[in-house]
Amino acid sequence: MAATSYKAHTDPELVALCLNGDALAWETLIVRYRRLIYSIPTRFGFRAADSADVFQAVCLKLIEHLHEVKDESKLSGWLSTTTTRYCLHVVTLKQRESASDEDIEEPPDPAKNLEEIRIETEEQQAIRDCVDELSERCRALIDMLYFDARSPSYQAISQMTGMPVASIGPNRARCLEKLKKILQRRGIT
Amino acid sequence: MRHVTVENLIDYIEGHGSDVEKSTLEGHVASCSECGELKQEFHAIISRLRDDASFEPPAELVQWGISLFQPVVQPKGVVSGLRKFIASLVFDTFDQPMLAGVRRVGTPPRQLLFRAGDVDVDVKIESMEANDRITLVGQVLSSAAKFFDNTPVKLESHGIVRYRTRTNLVGEFSFDEVPKDTYHLSVDLPEGQITLFCVHRGNS
Repeated sequence: MAATSYKAHTDPELVALCLNGDALAWETLIVRYRRLIYSIPTRFGFRAADSADVFQAVCLKLIEHLHEVKDESKLSGWLSTTTTRYCLHVVTLKQRESASDEDIEEPPDPAKNLEEIRIETEEQQAIRDCVDELSERCRALIDMLYFDARSPSYQAISQMTGMPVASIGPNRARCLEKLKKILQRRGIT
Repeated sequence: MRHVTVENLIDYIEGHGSDVEKSTLEGHVASCSECGELKQEFHAIISRLRDDASFEPPAELVQWGISLFQPVVQPKGVVSGLRKFIASLVFDTFDQPMLAGVRRVGTPPRQLLFRAGDVDVDVKIESMEANDRITLVGQVLSSAAKFFDNTPVKLESHGIVRYRTRTNLVGEFSFDEVPKDTYHLSVDLPEGQITLFCVHRGNS
């Protein structure tokens, strides 16, 4: 799925390519930010269908506003803010739909919680961006060791990667050292 | 003094290793600020990786997002001298809040204005609840005093041209009662082809 040939491109480069009609650049942007866009509504507690609605709305918004975001050094900020706004929009609509005349209870302030989620999700996106800079081998290892919800055993990782069990530890150390350097270079402490 | 290896440090952070190895490492780290700092750094990195609470969207949803861009892609081998422009949306009534106290009766028409260089494309979408169709009317306008008459206009969805028409003498075009879908509209001008993404979100 991922558009590997554009992986190293920055967001402004990808947006410029999109504006020239390059579909591969668009695919790279969607693959890069799919988790960020989807995670905000999901972590806020939206049902899968509502999270999907938000995801679609944000993708449409992005495509409609490519000219406006072409100078954004990092799209993640624009996307997370836009996603948060859509979530609030959905919350407001749902509150209006469910509120009856007798229901005068003050609704909770969803903006507070959403703002925390937005910041955390943006931070996680930054970490994933750094992991994406690693080699394919390191990326796969980090993914299995830390992101895979099934927490595969070393034996399972060995089978999936073809890496001997005894070399998983040293490889993990090398990959984390590389990741540390990338994080430092990007100013993420 | 021999420093602790990164591998051993990470093993320790992740709770691996024997009790003897752990106490040896703890003893060294307590007296070595360099290793202590390194341990903290790797601890922070591993915590951040483990705390990742992001969600993977369904593959079909991601594919939907990717396929939004299809209309601009030229099939391989097709050589086209036509320049392509992607118009930007500058106004959308869908994004405008309702006035306080105003209640909607039925779905109001959605008005959009797209811009590409000197050319504006005004689009109005009216939804017909009765038959689940939409009527899309628009006008291609230029900042110069001229009209784009007899200009081909296409309505595409899922990468396929579904409907074609041409503008009238004053640059107006119309697609009447087409099924609801997410459409991309393109206008073939002598200067190039203007593509308007997503003229309908399915909720107009």
